[in-house]
Amino acid sequence: MKNKEALDTLHDIKELMEKSTKFMSISGVSAVLVGIYACIGTGLAYFILNEQNSFDTLCNIPLLNINTTYQLALICLIALGVLTLSLFTTFTMSYQKAKKGYRNIFKDKSVHRLLWNFFLPLLAGGILCFSLIWQQHYGLTSSIMLIFYGLSLVNCSKYTYSDIRYLGYAEILLGLVDSFVITHALLFWGIGFGLLHIAAGIYFYYKVEHKQYPARP
Amino acid sequence: MKEYLENINKAFESKARLGIMSILIVNESVDFVTLKNLLDLTDGNLASHTRSLEELGYIQCQKQFIGRRPNTTFSITQKGREAFTKHLNALEEFLRKQNI
Repeated sequence: MKNKEALDTLHDIKELMEKSTKFMSISGVSAVLVGIYACIGTGLAYFILNEQNSFDTLCNIPLLNINTTYQLALICLIALGVLTLSLFTTFTMSYQKAKKGYRNIFKDKSVHRLLWNFFLPLLAGGILCFSLIWQQHYGLTSSIMLIFYGLSLVNCSKYTYSDIRYLGYAEILLGLVDSFVITHALLFWGIGFGLLHIAAGIYFYYKVEHKQYPARP
Repeated sequence: MKEYLENINKAFESKARLGIMSILIVNESVDFVTLKNLLDLTDGNLASHTRSLEELGYIQCQKQFIGRRPNTTFSITQKGREAFTKHLNALEEFLRKQNI
């Protein structure tokens, strides 16, 4: 047995262990798109909720005034729209990428584990947010969304590219800062779901996705 | 040189068997089709390799029906876990000695 043979064997073992436990068909482009949706959503919410104000507020940091049920319904609709579009984009792009690797993502156990671990904290946070809105405590919703989303990412990072957890840490930190700042929820929401996603997606695309299968030594 | 080559297990010399063990050691249980797709083997080929590993007592299989379709899942045994770990350690030891 030669040196190179033993190295190749260990390389194969490692690759199979990762391939069978982790779902690697996530694309950086979808993260960038999700970030763009969130930015558009934030912009829409800002313009619609501040329509009665004059244009010089553009230079100011956006503040959210939710005074009527109409405004509340509108902002919930925008948030749900962004969420639906984001999930749809991520699923479609992952499905396409997985199909290239000949994997059926509906039967794959690693996909089930990934989805379960991702959606468990996210659902808990979502229900908590819903209950807060129901009781008209709007102040903490954006920070709870960010914190629970961050926890979801950290939790599911074991079942996909582990670098995803850094995005999770950033979201948790931002959410905690947000919880101390009383206003500017929309700004934090836009940074967390918009800018961080775009930055993470670009990093992911160049540093991880295109280094997935390095040449063997 | 000889003493650590002794630990290199002949049963894992085939690439397919090595692959089966690598997947099973990190997963609780894996079904036949997933294993086949991951390793890119044919039905008959995978069946013969799993049978020989089962005869050695390294893996165990569970046959059940989902609806009317037969479904076979495999999992690693304690003996298999020990044997494979020993094999991996021997490989690493071999490389370490080579690099000095």
